[in-house]
Amino acid sequence: MRGIRTRLALALVALVALTVTAIGMGTYLFVDARLRDGLLADAERQAQFNLSVLVPERLPGGVTRTTYEASGLNDAFRLRGDVETIVDYRDGQLPGTSNVGLPPDVIQGFPRALLDAVAAGRLAFSWQAVAGRPSLVLGGRSPGGGPDFYFVFPATSIEAALEQLRLGLIVAALVAIVLALATAGLIARGILRPVSSGSAAAARIAGGDLSARVPAGGADEFARFAAEFNRMADSLASTVARLERSESQNRRFVADVSHELRTPLTALVAEASIIEAGLAGLPADARRAGELLVADVRRLRVLVDDLMELSRFDARAERAELQPVDLVATVRSIVNSRLPDAALQVPDEPVVVAGDVRRLDRIIGNLLDNARSHAPGTDVEVMVTRNTSAATVEVADRGPGVPTDALAHLFERFYKADVSRHEGSSGLGLAIAAEHAALLGGGLAAENRPAGGLAVTLRLPVNEPLPASDGLDMGEPDADHGSSAPSAPTEPARPKT
Amino acid sequence: MDARILLIEDDPSIREVTAIGLRNAGFEVDTAPDGAAGLEKWRRSQPDLVLLDVMLPRMDGLEVCREIRRESTTPVVMLTARGDTIDVVVGLEAGADDYVKKPFEMPELVARVRAALRRTRGGDPTGPAATIFGPLAIDLAGRTVSRDGAEIPLTRTEFDLLTELAQRPGQVLTRDQLLDRVWGYDYLGDSRLVDVAIGRLRSKIEEDAVNPRLILTVRGSGYKAARPG
Repeated sequence: MRGIRTRLALALVALVALTVTAIGMGTYLFVDARLRDGLLADAERQAQFNLSVLVPERLPGGVTRTTYEASGLNDAFRLRGDVETIVDYRDGQLPGTSNVGLPPDVIQGFPRALLDAVAAGRLAFSWQAVAGRPSLVLGGRSPGGGPDFYFVFPATSIEAALEQLRLGLIVAALVAIVLALATAGLIARGILRPVSSGSAAAARIAGGDLSARVPAGGADEFARFAAEFNRMADSLASTVARLERSESQNRRFVADVSHELRTPLTALVAEASIIEAGLAGLPADARRAGELLVADVRRLRVLVDDLMELSRFDARAERAELQPVDLVATVRSIVNSRLPDAALQVPDEPVVVAGDVRRLDRIIGNLLDNARSHAPGTDVEVMVTRNTSAATVEVADRGPGVPTDALAHLFERFYKADVSRHEGSSGLGLAIAAEHAALLGGGLAAENRPAGGLAVTLRLPVNEPLPASDGLDMGEPDADHGSSAPSAPTEPARPKT
Repeated sequence: MDARILLIEDDPSIREVTAIGLRNAGFEVDTAPDGAAGLEKWRRSQPDLVLLDVMLPRMDGLEVCREIRRESTTPVVMLTARGDTIDVVVGLEAGADDYVKKPFEMPELVARVRAALRRTRGGDPTGPAATIFGPLAIDLAGRTVSRDGAEIPLTRTEFDLLTELAQRPGQVLTRDQLLDRVWGYDYLGDSRLVDVAIGRLRSKIEEDAVNPRLILTVRGSGYKAARPG
């Protein structure tokens, strides 16, 4: 695809070239004809005069080779103009010439038409090179007969003039073409400036800068375009601003509600924990109500905590503080403290990522909670793997899995993949885990396992292996928390309680 | 346990139920509904530990904490709103020893209170009675630190932190190890507790807290005490 600039330049150059060629050729032909006509008319007059007046006057008795050479006619002819003379006496010998530089046999190179016309007694001419020089040859006889005279007039001045004219025309054509190109460039720039400012503004808007506008001005088609473009951008910006305002109001509302809930919730949680401690002393029906109360308060607490955590993400109040973390030790420690029943499969080598132990604890803890509530009573498997670009932690259960079309929504807030919600789950755990994962530069993905069950995978970018040192935050607060068999790829699952 | 706790909390429900929970756990509890009254009660009764809400009417918890620190090394545990990260750091910088996020369950709070009180008890009777750490003389039995014969007032937390490090010169202790040994967190405590306490400790024992020579930071890892010499 050729741009407007190129097409405009080509069109203008073609137009100019055509015009210049036509004018140039016309001029050239005209000048050429005028110059030749002038020289020819002059030459004819001279030839006529020479043949009709000078020759009969000097040699009234007829022209022979002897009389002619003695007559000095050649010099008489030259007095009237720059001319050389060839005289063909038609006696079987070579013609006589007025100049030693003029070979007598040059006649044989004259065109037949000229020779025939002369033989027929007419005055005739021919433009042609004589002895290597452009010349006008006029041939004829005196009225009384006699030898054939050929007068050779040099045409070099015409050729030189035409040469200069050609040069001038070529230079003029080149100048015209350059001017055409420059003009095309200027016009194209004039046309394209608003277009390119329009596309720059559109690109900025596409990139999220809704304040981009096209400079408006003038009264041409582009001014209308700019006005329409800017009107569209205004309307887009105000719509987006309205949406953002309402979204931020929603989020602030959630944050405020959660915040306001916290004071009564703090009292509730403390109260419930005291009731829990005294459950044994309550009558049976009150005890059951107490148990339910304790569980519900706990659920409410998880929900409010999770909402507050998400509203901190929404307020962009969360900042990642990354440092080298050994994923193997960290995952082992998290699993040990949160779901010791889970089967753990880890590489022998440490897997070092840029991470944050507390966020990893939130992510993997939430994945474990999800596995436990999603597939209660089944085995949960946790697997740490690493390849060249990423480290992954997979938390997999043997539950029913989720419908394929639900997989993509699994990390949305309050998304319910299974109708029954297990207690203790707010419906926000996976959304929170996904926010933490994004903050660590990674992400979460879910898939159904071929053999049944759901697998959720945390993927984290991998650092170059660091030199072994005590510089790692091992995620293990205490040495006696660590596994006693770090080289065993699979942790033996503890017996179920 | 007959430790006396002063609970300063403005919300009546939280104040009452927390007091009940602490009494059930065997503590003697006195309460105050605002900062000024709390400080007044603290001066009068000199409790073993103060539980301090951050958001308080009349004088906020941070100010109360600073006032207490001006006069005493009594352990202070702040009650903070979860996630109010500024509150946590500012509270620790004001001299709090530990904090508990709201909402809390009573066993959780009782455990933090016990851990803070444990630090106020005497040193290990089987260990050495005193040690020298650079220019500091540490009396482990009497829990005092002095420099050139002048006692440096350290809180119990700061004292424990110093001795944990000073008794192992050159050995790196990670934040998690320090959280476990000094604060009693066995799983994922808040590392800012360590960092803020180290900062306060340095400002008391180092000649130039910006270029510490006694307690050194090991980048990406934790802290260690400088080796002698």
